Amino acid sequence: MTDYDVLVIGGGPGGLAAAVSAKKEGAGVLLIEREARLGGILKQCIHDGFGLLRFGEKLTGPEYVERFEEEFHKLSISYEVQTFVTSVRKTEKGFYVYAVNAKGVREYRTKAMVLATGCRERTAKQVFIHGTRPAGVFTAGTAQHFVNLMGQMPARRCVILGSGDIGLIMARRLTLEGAKVLGVYEVKPVPSGLTRNLVQCLEDYDIPLFLSHTVTRVFGTGRLTGVEIAGVDERMRPIPGTERYVECDTLILSVGLIPENEMAESLGVPLDIRTKGPICDNRFMTEADGVFTCGNATHVNDLVDYVSESGEIAGRAAASYKKRTGQESEKGRVMMDADASLQYLVPQKLNLGSDLGKVILYFRSSRVLTEGTLTVAVDGQKIFARKYQNLKPPEMERLEIDFTGQCLTKESRVLVSIAEGGGI
Amino acid sequence: MKRAKLERRLKKNLRTRFGPVVNASVEGRIIRVFGRLSNWEDIVEACSMCVMRIPGFHVVNDIELEGTDLPPMRKPEFTDDALEGRKPDVLVIGGGISGCSIARELTRWKLDVLLVEKESDLALQASGRNDGEVHPGVDLNKGTLKQKYVVKGNRMFDRVCRELDVPFRRCGQYVGFTEKSALPVVRLYVWHRRHICKISDTRILSGRELKKREPGLNPRFRFAIYNPSAGCVCPYGLTIAYGENAAANGAQISLDTAVLGMEVQDGGIRAVKTNRGTVRPKLVINAAGVFAEEVAAMAGDRFYSIHPRRGTNSILDKKAGSLVKSIASIRTLTKNTAHTKGGGILHTVHHNLLVGPDAVETFEKENFATEQISVDRVFEKQVKTAGGLSKQDIITYFTGVRAAAFEEDFIIEKGRKTRNLIHCAGIQSPGLTTAPAVAVDVAKMAVQMLGASGKIEKNERFSPVRKGIPRVKDLPTDERDRLIRKNPDYGRIVCRCEEISKGEIIEALKSPIAIPTVDGVKKRVRPGMGRCQGGFCMPLVAQIISEYTGIPVEDVCKSGPDSKISFGKTKEVLL
Repeated sequence: MTDYDVLVIGGGPGGLAAAVSAKKEGAGVLLIEREARLGGILKQCIHDGFGLLRFGEKLTGPEYVERFEEEFHKLSISYEVQTFVTSVRKTEKGFYVYAVNAKGVREYRTKAMVLATGCRERTAKQVFIHGTRPAGVFTAGTAQHFVNLMGQMPARRCVILGSGDIGLIMARRLTLEGAKVLGVYEVKPVPSGLTRNLVQCLEDYDIPLFLSHTVTRVFGTGRLTGVEIAGVDERMRPIPGTERYVECDTLILSVGLIPENEMAESLGVPLDIRTKGPICDNRFMTEADGVFTCGNATHVNDLVDYVSESGEIAGRAAASYKKRTGQESEKGRVMMDADASLQYLVPQKLNLGSDLGKVILYFRSSRVLTEGTLTVAVDGQKIFARKYQNLKPPEMERLEIDFTGQCLTKESRVLVSIAEGGGI
Repeated sequence: MKRAKLERRLKKNLRTRFGPVVNASVEGRIIRVFGRLSNWEDIVEACSMCVMRIPGFHVVNDIELEGTDLPPMRKPEFTDDALEGRKPDVLVIGGGISGCSIARELTRWKLDVLLVEKESDLALQASGRNDGEVHPGVDLNKGTLKQKYVVKGNRMFDRVCRELDVPFRRCGQYVGFTEKSALPVVRLYVWHRRHICKISDTRILSGRELKKREPGLNPRFRFAIYNPSAGCVCPYGLTIAYGENAAANGAQISLDTAVLGMEVQDGGIRAVKTNRGTVRPKLVINAAGVFAEEVAAMAGDRFYSIHPRRGTNSILDKKAGSLVKSIASIRTLTKNTAHTKGGGILHTVHHNLLVGPDAVETFEKENFATEQISVDRVFEKQVKTAGGLSKQDIITYFTGVRAAAFEEDFIIEKGRKTRNLIHCAGIQSPGLTTAPAVAVDVAKMAVQMLGASGKIEKNERFSPVRKGIPRVKDLPTDERDRLIRKNPDYGRIVCRCEEISKGEIIEALKSPIAIPTVDGVKKRVRPGMGRCQGGFCMPLVAQIISEYTGIPVEDVCKSGPDSKISFGKTKEVLL
């Protein structure tokens, strides 16, 4: 058994950033990755657009992650690939992490853990598509794996359900490889993906987008032969009589991502029903002492730059966790309430023992607003307000707030809300 | 009752209900119902009306469904002569739980056994599309074959599953009641089941005791019937295990083999035509599930009919598994309408929850498409069993079709007109539970029939033991470590949701009845059965299949031959 200060689970952009920043703080770090190579999902994201915020340039996924990998290797951080954590046990002496890889069953002990486990895609059955079970129904990520990592063509005539970013990217990718993308269908009245992807992936390739439509059924016994499309009402239920059959050999789903937190749950970490990730503080520590979260396991980010940022904060905090004084924990944490005008807010808590000078908030608006104002109030007193233009649920916003001088205590009431319009 | 009198009564009943378009005749012990109706439910009703509770009497449905062509049986598209000229002692038709268990029991004797299955794997129809409950048999009345075999079969499960290395959990079953007033009636019922039907361990539990055992169940349950002998098993796992053990003991299992016709002479089957050649068996066992009636007709021995009944189950994430740790359902005293049942909640051997099934009459024997209404209906009922049940936890759902006879009992007997035939038909729920016991009896029957023309000897080399693929994640740490050190592939996790290693996948590809498809592997070792439904591991599984078998990735199929996953390499595929 080997001892570490910080054990990072997951070698994608979040985990790599966490490991690097923890190491820079002087911690003994081990990173465990379940796949054969580091890089996480970015390995298969060969399109560009990554790193605009962080590096000021448009990188492909592999290029973006390579920059972190280089630093990671330069710092000689220990890591294990194709190593799968089977269980974690918390004891007085730290966390005991059990894993398997080709060498056998491994056991590690660590003071702090960063869970950078990413997210998974919702499946056809989770959006209640019925009918038979033919080949040719893929989530967008699976289709992307086939095309970009295996050089295999999973589609010829294809329908895409869901206008999430990976769905849009795959519409373009498959078109470039010669497939016919018949259309992208979105159950909501507004697109789910980033505007830039709508333009660059659909409009530029004349791929039609059908809003308020969904796939209700698939046909075919061997390979998919077609799908049934239906219009939906304002509650997103199919409208009888609007069904129509579309002949195709592939259905690709981009119907949402779910943070993977099974390990966090096994440690008793409470999740936020809005983010589906752990409730955490501004240092990305969850409600379980010593367990940190970051990246898409915390909430689904639209930009990898934010994933890296959260990884860095979590890694740094995890490294200092061992040095934590009793004082910090005594000060405790205060809840930040986000009302219904926000789809969610991360972090959900502020650590009163931490530096509150530059707290980073990530949030999504619940509604589309051409003009909106986000306000933060402490005990009914407005302490911060910012005007926004074009707030929409698919686009996450990032914000820095200085909470020093607010004399926050555990009993303070911090409320974050968005009002329509620009008036402050 | 005299034949003529019975016939008159049936005719009258049918005329009153349906008018002159439906009629009945009684020939021997066959009640033939004929005419024309435009609605399948009416046909089922007409035939069910004519069921006589007289042993040996069966309803044959000859009512034409107006305006609808009944779909033909799905069969393999290719032909070859792989089986041409085969003269087995026994030909078993059907690779479901019945056929496979019978084949295995037959290999206890020195017999040449050939099992044919039209699908490209075993257990692809009803045997792979049910909830895997090992029934206690409490709901069945004495005097039926179902009841006789369910009691015997249930008791055999510990031994059979140990021999075949199949996980089995005797988890018990609770049937909860919210009305205290039902208690006297239920007491009487339970007494009857204990002492008359010989389900000797069934008993009543208080609401408090129930809450202690299953806190997730409806808090308004005042009491429950508890059946400790109920259990669960993986139904296709057991079927495949039976098939593999049969194969290991010398039976030939021929997949993708459909029976297309028979040559019958002087009351005996002389030849059986398949897409893979003509077979001349001494004895035929009809275990063809929903198609048992068609097989009986080919053999000139059609004396029963099958009315298919669909049922849909939802599979819930393991995270929901703690909600119910056994098998549970709700019962009210208001009479259930016919077969519109809403199933129950079952905690599987793999720790998911199964919710369902419902029951819908259908003429489509192989329509396994799911419908939202089935899922909704079952949930509507089952949230009353456990309030915490949520559709949010559904990871997938599936539909199966039961092969019900109109008498709603099994037909296990020698051919009536055809000498060298045994029927094992009408096997619906609890057919999985009964299979071990039925197989023993059918094999006995077969040996006795074949023994008429010479003594059948015991197969001295028969081994009842089949070694399954190790479920690495369930092994104790040191054993797991040792196994990985011997074979590093057991340490390479491919399916993250179910924690399945590459080693297990390769073992599935090496197994006695190996099916090198994504679904074939999935059925044997479970990659893709978890919450991501293969999103992450499916490409990897396809790659491992390709590496191990040498099939190019683009030729790896999901299940059958027309289910390729890829159209070819990018830049090479012609679109």
